Amino acid sequence: MLYPLSYAIWLSLFNYDLGSGARDFIGFGNYAALLVDERFWDTLNRTVLIVLAAVGLEFGLGLLVAYGLYRLSFGVRTLNLLMFLPNIVTPVVAALFLRWIFIGRWGLLSATLIGLGIFPPDFLGNPTWARITVVLADSWQFTPFMILVLYAGLNTVDQSQIEAAQIDGAGVWMLLFRIMLPSIRPLIVFVLAIRLMDAFRFFDTIYVLTSGGPGTATETITLYTYALAFRLLQIGKASALGVLTLLFVAALIALMIRLVYRRERGAF
Amino acid sequence: MSRLHLSRRGLVAAALAAPAILVGRARAAGTIQMISHRYPALEYYAEKMRTAIPGTTVNTQLMPYDKALELITIAMSSKSDTPDIVYASDAGFQTFVKNGWFRPLDDLWAKYRDEFKLDDFPDSVRKNFMHDGKLYVMPHTLNAMMFFYRKDLFDAAGKTPPKGFTEYRDLAKSFNSPMRSGNVSCLKPVDAAINEAHWYFNALGDGWFDQDWRPIFNDAKGVQAIEMMKEIAQYAQQGFSAAANDECTIAYQQDIGVMGLQWATRAKAMDDPAKSRVVGKIDWAAPPQGHARMGGDGYAISAFSKQDPDTLFRIIATSASQASIRGAASLLIPPRTSLLNDQELRQANRFYPAALASYEVGTPVPSLPEFYAVGEFITRRILQAVTGEMAVKQALDTAATETTDFLKGHGYYK
Repeated sequence: MLYPLSYAIWLSLFNYDLGSGARDFIGFGNYAALLVDERFWDTLNRTVLIVLAAVGLEFGLGLLVAYGLYRLSFGVRTLNLLMFLPNIVTPVVAALFLRWIFIGRWGLLSATLIGLGIFPPDFLGNPTWARITVVLADSWQFTPFMILVLYAGLNTVDQSQIEAAQIDGAGVWMLLFRIMLPSIRPLIVFVLAIRLMDAFRFFDTIYVLTSGGPGTATETITLYTYALAFRLLQIGKASALGVLTLLFVAALIALMIRLVYRRERGAF
Repeated sequence: MSRLHLSRRGLVAAALAAPAILVGRARAAGTIQMISHRYPALEYYAEKMRTAIPGTTVNTQLMPYDKALELITIAMSSKSDTPDIVYASDAGFQTFVKNGWFRPLDDLWAKYRDEFKLDDFPDSVRKNFMHDGKLYVMPHTLNAMMFFYRKDLFDAAGKTPPKGFTEYRDLAKSFNSPMRSGNVSCLKPVDAAINEAHWYFNALGDGWFDQDWRPIFNDAKGVQAIEMMKEIAQYAQQGFSAAANDECTIAYQQDIGVMGLQWATRAKAMDDPAKSRVVGKIDWAAPPQGHARMGGDGYAISAFSKQDPDTLFRIIATSASQASIRGAASLLIPPRTSLLNDQELRQANRFYPAALASYEVGTPVPSLPEFYAVGEFITRRILQAVTGEMAVKQALDTAATETTDFLKGHGYYK
């Protein structure tokens, strides 16, 4: 792990450009250039927006389904298995399926809606819909992961606490929000941290679905990194962007842990 | 019975040795790796390469243009000895040549001139693939963007192909309906968007750059050109901003669009009953006001290949032989003089007259090695303008500034 990371940091200190053949040491020049680069901030903002929307939706849906499964008295294993299927499909393959579903006019969804007499929006061609589509695509694939982890977590809650709450008259939702969720808080932080880190690397699905378009509507920071490295051949700058992304995600996770555990130092 | 005994050290040694053994065997077996863009004519050539030399295995990987370009870039920039044979277009090959990634073909061309009748390739075609006086790519296709249109719908409406952009826009508007778009547009960055922008910039504006490679696409005429593109895009099919040639070809075949620009190499597919719902209904003409993109494709030899250059050249030359290209003549414009002048071929392929007319009024993309790199900025900004994220003038000015900065960093404008 250390070698590739060190090499990326090393490369980020050079004006290493495959197109011009340049490989000059420039210190933090690439970082300085990126920090005043409008495209960097645009893609960062867009990434944060897409990641928060996707992970938020996954967590909300995942929690609801996990709680539903928790309360279910039969067929839990089968349902769990079926719902986990999208998560084991390779992201590129899943994105290809989704592209043929969402593509305009002859895609499965559009064709079905047209068959029902509803003219659908341009899911991949309209900037707003494209953002919604990539969020839905990510949620489709990763909500099962949330379900699995949260379901396992809910099952670890002390049964005596639940029974005591029920005797005190706690309803279904109060039980969830006041008893069960506080009990599995470390697990929630863990699963959100994992998904946030993962979602920041969101690349394959967007690359296949929209390539970052239309315009720049779905261009995330990883797509910008890819463009810098393999279209513009600016390896040094791309490495610097990779390092900045790493620092940003690390800071975000640290902040999240600090906020959740601000009153419980050493709990995580 | 002896027991298999595995120690940790033995496992590590085996793991380290396995790739070397496997790679050694793979290379020793003479498998030649080819990476290419994919469309029907190139699929045909890939098949010809696989069977070019009996006993020699050629592994061909075909994919959409942008992906092929990126994969080739990744492989060549790391000086990988695979691929051996590399697809190249007239627009993209200069980047590779400038970086020293392609092997010049002049010596092999001279050696095999008679055997493969290489003088049959006219100078005008070979010129597309020369850099600093050296030839790097063997031509396999000539190509031009043509105006594709639904002749049945035009006839029913009493219309003829437009002569200019205003007429084009008005026709697109009149034919447009929820179920069938008036215009088929392919604006997926980078390549597809470059194709379409190239037509607008050259037919309505002064082109991309001046003679010193300074951007001129953002001058008043360039802005008008993209304003017109934006106006016409209102009548484009769904998903046009993420559509490349494959998606646009399907749009015609599935009766989703009425007219637009597309490569000549896609014309034959319109009449394929297995794929098309509009067999015999599509016709072609030269693009209104001309200046659409023209060019060609071919194959080059990687400078890092460890395979025998003669073998690689023979594979490429066999696939581009007169007999081979004749077999693909319905899928492309042949790059050999003997075939271009063949009356039988002209009669058998009803798109030829329009293809040749389009080629004659076409304009090649700028011979700037960094063209695809700066195309990344420019097409992104054009898309922002067309989808309404940014005003056209602002988008083109931003693209021009980014282009100038990039080219300055690559030693231009000294």
